[in-house]
Amino acid sequence: MSALPNIVTATAVEKHYGGVAALKRVDIRIPEGSVYGLIGPNGAGKSTMFDILCGITKPTAGTVKVLGMDVAALPAHTVASKGVGRTFQRTAMFSESTVEENLLFASFSATRHNLFHRILRSRVWRADMDAFREKSADVLAICGLSEHRHQLASALPYGTQRRLAVALTLMTDPKIIFLDEPVAGMNETETADFIALMRRISVGRTIVIVEHDMAAIGALCDEVTVMVDGRAIVTDTPHNALKHPEVVRAYLGAEDE
Amino acid sequence: MTSTSSQALKLQGTGRAGSLGKGVLIVLAAGLILFVGLGLQSTFWLNLAAYTCGFALFALSVNIMLGGVGEVPLGQSMFFGIGAYAPAVMINNFGLPFEFGVLVGMVIAAAAATLIGGVTLRLTGAYFAIVSWGMSGVAMVTVHNIEFTGGALGLFGFSRLAVGPFDLSHPRTYFFVTSIILLLVLILLAHIRSSRFGHALESIRQSRHLAQSLGVNVFRERLKAFVLSAPIAALAGSLCLPFTQIVTPESMSVLRSVDALLAVLIGGTGLLYGPVIGSIIFTVVPQFLNFDANVKVLVFSLLIILIMMVAPGGLHQLIKAAGAALRCMSESRR
Repeated sequence: MSALPNIVTATAVEKHYGGVAALKRVDIRIPEGSVYGLIGPNGAGKSTMFDILCGITKPTAGTVKVLGMDVAALPAHTVASKGVGRTFQRTAMFSESTVEENLLFASFSATRHNLFHRILRSRVWRADMDAFREKSADVLAICGLSEHRHQLASALPYGTQRRLAVALTLMTDPKIIFLDEPVAGMNETETADFIALMRRISVGRTIVIVEHDMAAIGALCDEVTVMVDGRAIVTDTPHNALKHPEVVRAYLGAEDE
Repeated sequence: MTSTSSQALKLQGTGRAGSLGKGVLIVLAAGLILFVGLGLQSTFWLNLAAYTCGFALFALSVNIMLGGVGEVPLGQSMFFGIGAYAPAVMINNFGLPFEFGVLVGMVIAAAAATLIGGVTLRLTGAYFAIVSWGMSGVAMVTVHNIEFTGGALGLFGFSRLAVGPFDLSHPRTYFFVTSIILLLVLILLAHIRSSRFGHALESIRQSRHLAQSLGVNVFRERLKAFVLSAPIAALAGSLCLPFTQIVTPESMSVLRSVDALLAVLIGGTGLLYGPVIGSIIFTVVPQFLNFDANVKVLVFSLLIILIMMVAPGGLHQLIKAAGAALRCMSESRR
């Protein structure tokens, strides 16, 4: 794994909210093509770190390079349009629209036509529409949403809505996808389906997951970083990392002397 | 706030069925224009119908912001006023033709929207509504105190209001010109809805954070919508001039924006032609009920509350529900 180039390099990242240090000189390296987990107890700073890696939150100090971009210096939409996808903790989709319309909205970065192309039904517009039909059919099939394409997003079961959130991200052709607690609130079947989906989409992509479900982390991740009290205390395989004495202490509390 | 929703998007069909549907709608609209334009004999009603088309244009411009990006543009009346003042000033002060004034008004409105939007569109919700209201107030006070806009009395007594060979002082011509312009703007907006820009607006309206995470430059698209809505409001202001025959600072009053908002909410924000339906109700119904202006506000405000309770998507929702009920009844008989 370490032989692969790093797609994410975060160096000495700090984040302060007033006098509170949420992150204390965190270093993270994520190898290209890996499935990487960011775990830790509540309040450990993993969500803050996650938002900084996606370019949503700016760090107080330190540098973050994703795909070679300094994400702290770029607006969020630019980061997104250059191959960095993300899903949100609370299911994010265009709930008033159908699944297919959701994908149409998500194809914004991949389309090029302007209003005149649309009015004149020019070659550019037709090419965009053809590409959308082809791409959306693929994404729907990968995410198991083909049969739902004409359904309103708000009418879908919870697990299917989470798959739709991933489908939206896939429409942007991301090289790296950040997933914020993707299996939270899912039942066993939905979690198993989602893990299978993650395995399908991780081929040729880097996936970064923030998750509390250790079974899902163990099933998916090549490597995890455990965060405790704003620091990254260990980076290893899920199996090894969870045995680390500091991690055990953080999750279970210190043993009585 | 009501939704553009899947139903509205279905009107944007990109396939052959969608094009056919749009074609049928355009033919029906053209037929309606001919029917009203040739059928009405009363000068008053023809003028009112023409004014309704102008007001509907204003309601459409308001709905670009309300139904398009989910903002309440209380200051939209400023652009309406710019559109009304520009030809009035051009005719009365410079002796230039009406059409030139209309174009000047649209250009000034677009430029003003770019400047104002650049500053205010980083705000959302109530903040944007209040700031935009403030802008229209400033504009109103400004024209009130400038000599060449006629001060408090405004401008009136225009020599010739015409578009090319079409003299707008003839009610039938006035109606045909405004209604055809309205139809063309509707066609333009229909294309916008089904374009990349329209999709970006709808995604922003539903969830700006998600839209941003999918690569949409939220500020830029909102600014584009604002800049698009301004010249349409200005065009509406210009086209209402032959009916009002006077332009005063009140043309920029927030009450005008509120009138258009009421019309939009009555017709429904989600449907492309919802604001047109609302405008027809808003301008025509009071003629039968002989309302005082203050009573009119009261009655329409109550009507809005009623509509929000029974059909939050606008009156067209009731027509749709009635259609669905009829279909159910006919199927159960079979």
